[in-house]
Amino acid sequence: MLKLLGAIIVVFSCTLIGLTVASAYSRRPGEIRALQNALQLLETEISYGATPLPDALASVSERCDTRVALLFNRAAQELMTMRGITAREAWEIALSEYYPKSALSRIDRSILLELGNSLGVSDREDQVKHLMLAKEQLKLEQTKAEDASIKNTKVYNYLGFLGGLTLVLILI
Amino acid sequence: MKPIRQVITRTEAINNSALDEVLNLLPINLRQMLSDLPDPVKDTVEEIRIRQGRPLMLGLADGDCYVTYRGTVTAEQLEAYQVDAGDVERVTQLISRSSLYALEEELRNGFITLQGGHRVGITGKVLTEQGRVKNIKYISGFNFRVSREVPGVANKVLPYLISPEGRFYHTVLISPPRCGKTTLLRDLVRRLSEGVPELNFKGVTVGVVDERSEIAGCFRGIPQRDLGPRADVLDACPKAAGMMMLLRSMGPDIIATDEIGRQEDVAALEEVFNAGVKVLTTIHGSSLEELADRPALQYLFQIKAVQRFVLLGRSRGVGTVEDIIDGHTMGSLGVRLC
Repeated sequence: MLKLLGAIIVVFSCTLIGLTVASAYSRRPGEIRALQNALQLLETEISYGATPLPDALASVSERCDTRVALLFNRAAQELMTMRGITAREAWEIALSEYYPKSALSRIDRSILLELGNSLGVSDREDQVKHLMLAKEQLKLEQTKAEDASIKNTKVYNYLGFLGGLTLVLILI
Repeated sequence: MKPIRQVITRTEAINNSALDEVLNLLPINLRQMLSDLPDPVKDTVEEIRIRQGRPLMLGLADGDCYVTYRGTVTAEQLEAYQVDAGDVERVTQLISRSSLYALEEELRNGFITLQGGHRVGITGKVLTEQGRVKNIKYISGFNFRVSREVPGVANKVLPYLISPEGRFYHTVLISPPRCGKTTLLRDLVRRLSEGVPELNFKGVTVGVVDERSEIAGCFRGIPQRDLGPRADVLDACPKAAGMMMLLRSMGPDIIATDEIGRQEDVAALEEVFNAGVKVLTTIHGSSLEELADRPALQYLFQIKAVQRFVLLGRSRGVGTVEDIIDGHTMGSLGVRLC
């Protein structure tokens, strides 16, 4: 009886681990897409409105997908405190809070960090170029993420459950 | 008579917050150094000069000095704090609110107006397009000009600028740079728009064309300086065009502008004279004779429309009124104020 209970717990937890890993794979493409859209909004704010960066970030955070709103909202808040930090630093602080909660990969993060270096420090054309570059790179990552998602989501879903079963068989 | 200099001293205590407004836009390390300065120095700071690879400097009422990293002033260059590239980058970001792209127009003019009406002059590598300044890249130097309101500087000259019937004379303020010309102009505008009961002068509508954003110190179109209840401000507008716009649309009784000098400015002024609107303006220069040699201004003197010339100088401190001259007789009114 006790053995059966233990077996059930092992299978259950392994399945859960599998599902979690799978969900990270399936969430990532969506988040990257949301990021691209948000960057598009930012680009519009900068190129057409010439809105100051803190206001532009705040307005993007209100209009973009809720999954990425935290990043923009936090960066805007940091900049509005006027405690002497640069746009890059504010962006890095926001990113360090947002990244652990997101499904993004390290490559995605480095693309965003790279973008932070150029935020707000040049004229309009240059800003648009940097935003376009970041979007292009994210698009590339998105295709990769989608492929990985199709491949891995199912694999990890099953792997968790089956791995749990195998473990039980070995232990019994 | 009491020197204007003393009036300035009295109001400095109130205006120290002006310096704080500027300090809040500096990086933490510079902010710390400058806020540690002794109060007498802080009270007289007119300019903060930040140049990459050069010592941090202050422009005071009586000359300039270096600032050490401990927040003291010194005359020794070697003891001074050296501004590095990081400082310059931070200053750039902070004064632009991290939005250099939103300031292309301002960079083209070479300065940014901050909240509170303070101006920051900017130097660096200038990019041109078809011979016109397009932008400034590789920004390397700043000059923060602390703008202080000095309420009351106009009181001494006002009696000479208003006729016994309570009408304002066409007035030109003449002064070399940094002698309190804009400060006096601003206070005159405020008094004229408020009204001067002791001279039997009712407040009138004053249109202000503020090409260099110095008179009203507009931030996003809103005047940061007190210009009284009846002032309309066209911020960053070219003078000649602005005077016409105000004349046509805002029904001013007086039009005030800063630093007339070009041919088109004088032509626009003539329109204003003809429309029966009073003029209050300033000219860079130190004497009437010197100005008469400048072709654009020669005409202005010929038409004899200006009724009062106020000459400013520094002989007894910033804002000394050297002389007031009747534009009709070209004779001194016999006033040597302060």
